[in-house]
Amino acid sequence: MKSAYRVLSYIIAIEVVVQASMIAFAFAGLGIWVDKEGGVLDKAAMESDLNFTGVIGFAVHGINGMMIIPLLALVLLIVSFFAKVPRGVPWALTVLGLVILQVTLGLFGQENAYFGMLHGINALALFTVALMAGRRVSSGAASSDQPAHSSATA
Amino acid sequence: MNARWKLLIACLVTFAIVAPLGWLWWNSLLPSKYSVTQMGYADFGGGPESVMSGGMGQDDQSAISIDTLVVAADRPADVEYELTARQESFTLASGRSVDGFTLNGESPGPEIRATEGDVVEVVLVNESVTEGVTLHWHGIDVPNAMDGVAGVTQDAVMPGEEFTYRFVADQVGTYWYHSHQVSHEQVIGGLFGGVVVDPAQDARAAADGGRAVVDFTAMVHIYDGGRTVNGLAGDVAVDAKAGDVVRVRVVNTDNGPMSVWTSGAPYRVVAVDGYDVNEPEIVEGQAITVTAGGRADLEIEVPPAGSRVELGGNTALLLGDGADSVTEEPAPREFVDLLAYGTPAPLGFDPADADRHFDLVLDRRPGFFDGKPGLWWTVNGGIYPDVPMFTVSEGDVVTMRIVNNSGDVHPMHLHGHHAVVLSRNAVAASGSPWWVDSLNVADGDTYEIAFVADNPGIWLDHCHNLPHATEGLLAHLMYTGYTTPYTIGGGESNEPE
Repeated sequence: MKSAYRVLSYIIAIEVVVQASMIAFAFAGLGIWVDKEGGVLDKAAMESDLNFTGVIGFAVHGINGMMIIPLLALVLLIVSFFAKVPRGVPWALTVLGLVILQVTLGLFGQENAYFGMLHGINALALFTVALMAGRRVSSGAASSDQPAHSSATA
Repeated sequence: MNARWKLLIACLVTFAIVAPLGWLWWNSLLPSKYSVTQMGYADFGGGPESVMSGGMGQDDQSAISIDTLVVAADRPADVEYELTARQESFTLASGRSVDGFTLNGESPGPEIRATEGDVVEVVLVNESVTEGVTLHWHGIDVPNAMDGVAGVTQDAVMPGEEFTYRFVADQVGTYWYHSHQVSHEQVIGGLFGGVVVDPAQDARAAADGGRAVVDFTAMVHIYDGGRTVNGLAGDVAVDAKAGDVVRVRVVNTDNGPMSVWTSGAPYRVVAVDGYDVNEPEIVEGQAITVTAGGRADLEIEVPPAGSRVELGGNTALLLGDGADSVTEEPAPREFVDLLAYGTPAPLGFDPADADRHFDLVLDRRPGFFDGKPGLWWTVNGGIYPDVPMFTVSEGDVVTMRIVNNSGDVHPMHLHGHHAVVLSRNAVAASGSPWWVDSLNVADGDTYEIAFVADNPGIWLDHCHNLPHATEGLLAHLMYTGYTTPYTIGGGESNEPE
C-alpha cells in the first residue's frame, strides 16, 4: 500500500508535466497553423476537426485533466486510508483539493482569462505537493515520523 | 485505537466515497437498445396530460405508428433524384484530398432543386458507408416518417440497401440535407448537400421586380480544418456582372456559428432559415451570424467596381469583374440583430394563447454520462437520458423558453417545425417575424419562442453542434397518440447522433 501511495503520487506529478507539455504543444501548433499555413480560427473552426501538428494536445489535456487526474487523486485518497504513510491522508486530501481547484480554474478560464493565469500557477503547486506526498513514503519524512507513530499504536 | 479499528474506519470511509460514485456510474449506463419514447420523463408543459403513462404509448395498442406519416403513395413525383452514398477518399473542388463521405461521388452532394408544391422523391442508396446512413431534410417540415433520424423515424440504411424519401416542397427557401446516422462523423466528413425550393413562376417574377437575379448557393464547410464554399477555398468567383442582384444562399454545415459580411457593397438579409424577412433594411458595417445548421440568404446589388461576400476563414465570394481588386473588410464587431430587423407582419397564430409552455434550460455539471465521468451538458438539470420529452397534442400552440447557462453557445435545432422568436433576454421582438429551425443560443441568453404543433410524430430537439448531441444535448418533441417501431442501438446499429 505504501508503494501504491508513492507510485500514485509520482504519477500525478508526471501527469502535471504531461498536461503542461501537451497544452504548450497544442498552442505552438495552433500558432504555426495560423501563421505559416493560412489557418483561420473562429468558432466554427474551433468546433470542427482541426488538423495540425499538436492539435492532439487539446484533447489529451482535456481528457487527462477532467477525467484521469481527478480519478488518480481519488484513488490516492482511498489508498492513503490503508497505507501507513505519516500524514498521508492530509497530503492526499491536499492533492485532491488542488486537483479540484485546478479543474475549476481551467473551466473559469473559459469565462475570464485571469483564471487561466491562476490555472498555470496552481499546476506548479499541484506538481510540488504530489511530489512531496510521494517522498513521504521514502527515506526522510517517513523514517523520522515512523518511531513516534509505531510507539503510539504498539 | 488499535489497528483493527483503524482498518474498519478506513474501509467505511472508502465505502462512503466509492458507493455513491458507483451508484451514479451504474445508473448512468444506457441500455444497449432503447426506444426514444421510453427515455427521460414526459413534460406536458401545463397542458392536458395524456392517459398513457410510463411507456408513453409504446405499449399502447391504440397508438399510431409514425410509419404512417407519409405523403400519399398515389401522388406522382415531380422531381426525382437518386443519391448514392460512399465512404471514400475523394478530392474536393479545391484539389484537396479528404477522407470522408460522398453522394454521387462528390461532397457537397448534388443540390436538390424543386419548385413550390412539387412532390420530391429522393432514393438514397448506400453503396459503402459501413455504419449505415440516412438523410435528414434540415429545415423542411417533412412528414415524420421522412425525417431521416436513425433509430427514431427509420432504421439506418446499411450497405447494399436503399430508402426512398418523399415529401412535398411547400416551403420556399434555402434548406439542406445531411445524414442523421453517426451524424457527428458523417456530416463533418461531407455527407450533406443543399436543397432550394423556388417559388412558383409568377410569384417569383413579382418578387424580383423585374431585376436580373443571380442565384448562388454557398454550402460552407470545414474539411480537415480548412474552410470551403462548395468545396472551393480562397476567392471563389460567382458568375455575375455589375448591376446584377445576387442572392447568396449561405448554408452553415459546420458545428459552430459563422459570420458573413460584405466588402465593397451593402447587403440585405432577405431570408433566414428559409423564411423571407419582411421588408429587410440595407446593412452596412455589420456581419450576420449564421448558426450551425442555419441559413441566411443575402442579396447584394453588384456595384461597378464589384464586391466580395466574406465567409471567414480566408474564403470569400467575388461578385463582378472588378471584385479581385476590392479591399477585404475585416470582420465587423457588430452584428445584425434579427430581433429588430425588418418590419412586423402577422404570425398567423397567437402565442399569447398558448396551450403549453415548456422550459429548456441548458447547463452543465460534473457527473456520469453512459458510465463516463466528466463535466456533462444538462437539459433542465438532468444528464441524458434524464431529459424531458416535450409532449404535445396536434394543434397545440406551444411556447418554449430556452435558457443557456452552460458556458458555450448552442445552435438549437427543432425538427419538423419552424418556431418564431418572441423575445431575447426579455426584450420583445420588434422586427420582421423571425422564423427559425436553428437558433443560436449564446451563453447567458434566454429566448422565448413559439410554434404551432401541426406536424405529428416524434421529433428531435437538439444542439446542432453535433458532438454536443453525442454528449447528450438532446431532447425530443412527442405528439400524444403516436409511437415509433424503431430503436436506438440494438441489432440495427442505429446511432442518430
